[in-house]
Amino acid sequence: MTDKTFASEKEEDGIQRKEQGRPPVDEIQTILIKKTMRSGQSIRYQGNVVVMGDVNPGAEIIAGGNIVVMGFLRGVAHAGASGTEDKIVTAFRLRPTQLRIANHITRAPDEQSEAYPEYPELARIKNGVVVIERYVPGDKPKI
Amino acid sequence: MGEVIVVTSGKGGVGKTTTTANIGTGLASLGKKVVLVDTDIGLRNLDVVMGLENRIVYDLVDVADGNCRLKQALIKDKRFDDRLFLLPAAQTKDKNAISEQQMIDLCNTLNEEFDYTIIDCPAGIEQGFKNAIAGAQKSLVVTTPEVSAVRDADRIIGLLEAADLPDPRLIINRLRPAMVKQGDMMDIDDMIDILAVSLLGVVPEDEKIVVSTNRGEPAVLDEMSLAGEAYRNISRRLTGEEVPLMNLDVNDGLMGRLRKLFGFSK
Repeated sequence: MTDKTFASEKEEDGIQRKEQGRPPVDEIQTILIKKTMRSGQSIRYQGNVVVMGDVNPGAEIIAGGNIVVMGFLRGVAHAGASGTEDKIVTAFRLRPTQLRIANHITRAPDEQSEAYPEYPELARIKNGVVVIERYVPGDKPKI
Repeated sequence: MGEVIVVTSGKGGVGKTTTTANIGTGLASLGKKVVLVDTDIGLRNLDVVMGLENRIVYDLVDVADGNCRLKQALIKDKRFDDRLFLLPAAQTKDKNAISEQQMIDLCNTLNEEFDYTIIDCPAGIEQGFKNAIAGAQKSLVVTTPEVSAVRDADRIIGLLEAADLPDPRLIINRLRPAMVKQGDMMDIDDMIDILAVSLLGVVPEDEKIVVSTNRGEPAVLDEMSLAGEAYRNISRRLTGEEVPLMNLDVNDGLMGRLRKLFGFSK
């Protein structure tokens, strides 16, 4: 391994990367929060945000990129805050008070509270609306 | 050298003052030397709940401003020899009448003389709260089993952690086991899930608290009070003793017992 492994790579390098058997990389910066976010705490970041913990009601994440919560997302999450609609929000347990992607705002249906699924889910924009799907690893096409 | 503990909650009316009065009295009953400090300037209640309001001459602001010596302001609770004292809040001022530095100095002074300095924090997150936590080493967060109270408790825990008061301990107050059983009230596990702090104790809803706060006789002194027993247990836990949580299972009354007898109960 040379120093070049961790150097910032440009588009032409993408081809090189493929040839060398390395996966494609999304160059947006990502920050990692290693604690549960409590009510009243707020993160605004232009890239991706990953939380290793819960996001309690009253906490909010506003990300230009994607949002990944390795815990219970019970607060407000806004992905693609700068307007890009290809961003996602995903969590071990997706139970936000409100969820936003780009310019779309959604919340759980009113009868929801008893029926939350017990598996990780992912929210994204599909055909112009926010859809919530069971999380499936990778970029396999979702049904 | 003792401990300085702040009792806070965020939400108003969940039982901070009642808790302060009862664990203070409880600790004094166990032989500790305790001072209670009311920092709810302008809306003071701890003196009333302790039954000491008629004896206030000087208050917290007088001490901070140097109008009197600390000893002159401390009110001795005659029920406990020289073991339980109250430093009351001022009533005719507001929460900007004292600074965080003044609170730090005061708490350091009190900590030299008392085993436990317990600070009754006002509701909210503004200057009153900041003053109350300034001199504290440990914190207790009081909440009731309600969504709004838990929301505020979570906020306050976040602020405590940010102010270098990690590991607050939780007191769940006014629990109604019957309602929890019916699913109408949050249960203990749900609350711990969200708040993620260690549980110090659970105090059941008890009508005797209303009587005790009105009369100025803390419920810990009442053998017949369930809430009093819970507070006695909490006081013992604060001294490091391991006390199991009270069994708060509902007594179903005659019909319930008959049902159980004939095997019709859940």
